[in-house]
Amino acid sequence: MATLNKQAQKKIWAFFALGTFVGLLLMPLFLSLPVGASGGAPAPAASTAPPAAQPADAKPVEKSRDIWYKTEGPVIGAPAPKTTDGPKDYPRYNFESRVLLWVANQQHLYYGSFVLAVPIFCMVVEYLGIITKDKALARKYDQLAYDFVKISLTAYSLTAILGGILVFTYLTLYPTFFGYLASIFRPVMHTYALLFVAESGTLYIYYYGWDKMREGFLKWVHVSMSVILNVIGTVLMMLANSWIAFMQSPAGVDADGRYLGNIWHVIHTTLWNPINVHRILGNMAFGGGVVAAYAAYRFLTAKTDEERAHYDWMGYVAMFIGVCFLIPLPFAGYWLMREVYAYRQQMGITLMGGLLAWLFIIQAVMIGALFLTTNYYLWQGLERMRGAERYQKYIKYMVFVLITCFIVWLTPHTMVMTPAELKAMGGQQHPVLGNYGVMSAKNGAINTIITTTVLSFIMYQRGNKVPTVKWAPLGDAFLFGLFTMAYVNIIWLAVYGYYIPANVRVGLSVPQVATTLSCLFIGVTLNSIMMKGAKELGPTVWGQISVRSQYALIMLATAFTWMMGLMGYIRSSVRLFWHVNEIMRDNSPWAFTHTIGFAANMISFNVLFFWMTILFVFWLGSLGVKKAPAAASVGQKVPVPAGSH
Amino acid sequence: MDVIKQMLTGKLVEGYMPMQMLFELGSFALLFIGAFYFLGKNGIKVNKLAQATGLFVFSILYFTYRIYPPIPFSVRAIYATMTLIGIFMWVSSTEESWKDFRKPIIAVADANTAITKMIRTVVVVLLPFLVGFMGYNSMKPNVDEPIELRTVHPAPPASTKVHGKTFVLQTASSPYRVDDAGKYSDTIQKTHIDGNPWDEKAPPYLQYVREGGQIFFQNCHFCHGDNLNGRGMFAFAFNPIPANFTDPGTIAQLQETFVFWRVSKGGIGLPREGFPWASVMPPWEQHLTVDEIWKVILFEYWHTGYYPRTWD
Ligand code: HEC
Repeated sequence: MATLNKQAQKKIWAFFALGTFVGLLLMPLFLSLPVGASGGAPAPAASTAPPAAQPADAKPVEKSRDIWYKTEGPVIGAPAPKTTDGPKDYPRYNFESRVLLWVANQQHLYYGSFVLAVPIFCMVVEYLGIITKDKALARKYDQLAYDFVKISLTAYSLTAILGGILVFTYLTLYPTFFGYLASIFRPVMHTYALLFVAESGTLYIYYYGWDKMREGFLKWVHVSMSVILNVIGTVLMMLANSWIAFMQSPAGVDADGRYLGNIWHVIHTTLWNPINVHRILGNMAFGGGVVAAYAAYRFLTAKTDEERAHYDWMGYVAMFIGVCFLIPLPFAGYWLMREVYAYRQQMGITLMGGLLAWLFIIQAVMIGALFLTTNYYLWQGLERMRGAERYQKYIKYMVFVLITCFIVWLTPHTMVMTPAELKAMGGQQHPVLGNYGVMSAKNGAINTIITTTVLSFIMYQRGNKVPTVKWAPLGDAFLFGLFTMAYVNIIWLAVYGYYIPANVRVGLSVPQVATTLSCLFIGVTLNSIMMKGAKELGPTVWGQISVRSQYALIMLATAFTWMMGLMGYIRSSVRLFWHVNEIMRDNSPWAFTHTIGFAANMISFNVLFFWMTILFVFWLGSLGVKKAPAAASVGQKVPVPAGSH
Repeated sequence: MDVIKQMLTGKLVEGYMPMQMLFELGSFALLFIGAFYFLGKNGIKVNKLAQATGLFVFSILYFTYRIYPPIPFSVRAIYATMTLIGIFMWVSSTEESWKDFRKPIIAVADANTAITKMIRTVVVVLLPFLVGFMGYNSMKPNVDEPIELRTVHPAPPASTKVHGKTFVLQTASSPYRVDDAGKYSDTIQKTHIDGNPWDEKAPPYLQYVREGGQIFFQNCHFCHGDNLNGRGMFAFAFNPIPANFTDPGTIAQLQETFVFWRVSKGGIGLPREGFPWASVMPPWEQHLTVDEIWKVILFEYWHTGYYPRTWD
């Protein structure tokens, strides 16, 4: 009886806790609504201004037009300040302020993305643990989810510290600009701060409540908490995105930068949502990369086979999640670019064809590295399965396909050459390679690469298994047909692209992408179904994998980090000499675009700095570990995403 | 069929070259794999390191000598790097082949046979020389002109003023890309792509194309060539050389208003990021009217069969 009572009590507490969270979550919104409505009004004037009831003796309110939404609104804010170079607007050390800000921003961003991404994994993995029937597997998932939060906890406080540093850097080095931004975003910034408190609270309870809320209903409360955690996190990120989106494509203000009283317009600028989507996906891919690198690091330093098995598995799961989000990322990027073009053609051209085009070439290299590494890791993974040797002979063909596609993918449109080479070639355009330099060829190449990656994954899924379902030969034939058709279709469309006008050609990428995606979804799903209850030729021996594979994981993570730094730099520097595009000019001496070499060095520095600090975080994390987690011991069955086991 | 016959005799066939090159690469790769397989079957196991070296050397030779005109060094360097990465991925893809690959290297490092000792000595002696040579090479003063990284398509201004009239690049459109009723039409070029501009009764669009053609051959073809391929008779006196309109990378990927701005303002009108500009492209607003500029652009698109870029 007493225990039952206790159970009921627990339940009540659980509901209470849940209610509090929801309340906490919503409170900032309620708080901010009235604040938002009165917006950036100069406080005393607004409070004494007569309400709508007696408009007769009110001074006529000046109206102005929203530069993006084209709606009329009352002028509430002050115009964007016109800065001059000097200690008033740009106080400084004997150093380029922009570079300081760059480092502060980038570091905050790295940690921010990491602590936003990891709880999402956690949520997924914890949920998997709950729904898994097999007790041992469930425990393993749960342990993994717990490991994930543990890593993110230290990173979380670092994020907050870095955020503080960032704000101080803004306040001390760009006071006028930051003042302007803050005057417009005041309610948003407060909401942001409050949400941050809610996020920390939830995170701590989530982490420290893990053991207490292990069983039954409480476990569900615990998972719901992770949902709330992620909702708050995502809203936080979107609010922060609204600032940068405003700087790039302002709305809600008039041409002088005066705030017009509609906070939603200011938040919801035209680039806001594309950036939101792109960032969420990017964060996940990045988070997967970092956790995978963590696992690789623990694998390489592991002393026992158990540890090696556990971290091998963890690295695999993290890599898997990361790559899942990597695949839709280019499409989100495409959407963002489209919106940029739609917003300002100049901005699009500066990015893709102009000043920053060379950076996009570097980006292409990084994307290449990501896909190659992923494939390599999967191939190495075949080593841990007895019976997977039959697939290894196909690797060389896949290498060939991938490398040839990369040769096409990396062939620059404007080749770097000496004048002597130019003369020898007889023109800027190489008659053979020039054709690899345009969109049509690139689309064909990248789609072939992604399709091949999917094929690698299917091969990996099959590894040590032979399907036993009756329709197996049919399924195999179908898969074979699917991929053959896909390759033919992609390549054919790429070639065909040369013979049709550019505006039609843009449309060709749709069937190409559709082909790739159907390989991904149909192929993997069908294969997973076929592998259900398949006969195993031999066990999967987690931990028995080459160290090269672990270095591949680290390389993957580094490439992610580097690319994030690069793309962030591109997005930010496309504003050229504007603080807020076309509204507030940057009149500091650093309003120029850095050389590619300098930018690349800065990005590398940021990446290095991040990895050094995160290694420290990992090390801190390992201090608290009492013993190796009771995880996958050698040869034991362990869960793997996508139901391949 | 003729094409295939030509290809088999080893010719690079115009119009098919890009696919032909990929195809050749594929065939050679298969040949390599087949050859080593065959040797292996007959008891001659070729060491992985030897295979890898062979493959690499072959690829270098192929890219250097097979493709004509010669590929610039910067691009060949990219190709070589990719090939190296590919080879690494291949030899290290299984533990067995990785061991095979490393065996000779490790043997040179510490085996104790007469041959490995000799190789070791040679390597130890040659290595410093190699490094020294590379150092010398990179420090050697160079008399070549420096490489210019030119931004070929800099961002245009939001609007441009030609003959006193302001054109907003985002919204302006060609007044001659029109259907028979005089309304702007995206599809009119497609309709008349095979039409005859010299026809007396040609629709207005084709008449404008003809006028544009006349303007082109009075003003532009000296540089941009009578096939619009950038090989006019003056072309190679200039650096940068005139744009090749038949290349998918020039007008085909630009909006018509962008081209209008470029033709009106010429090389000296390029914005700062277009530096270092030494482009001789004349600012045509000084010689042509606004209408003439639109017409010559109309002609360029019609003649090349490309369509101006549009987004959506
Ligand atoms: C004296 C030689 C010369 C003449 C004559 C000339 N051009 Fe050019 N043009 C160039 C050169 C050189 C370039 C490439 C460098 C550059 O982009 O400025 C160029 C570039 C262009 C471009 C830019 C293409 C791109 O991809 O950005 C256009 C469009 C163009 N020319 C149109 C014309 C038209 C139309 C005429 C005749 C009315 C003309 N040109 C006459 C030399 C010439």
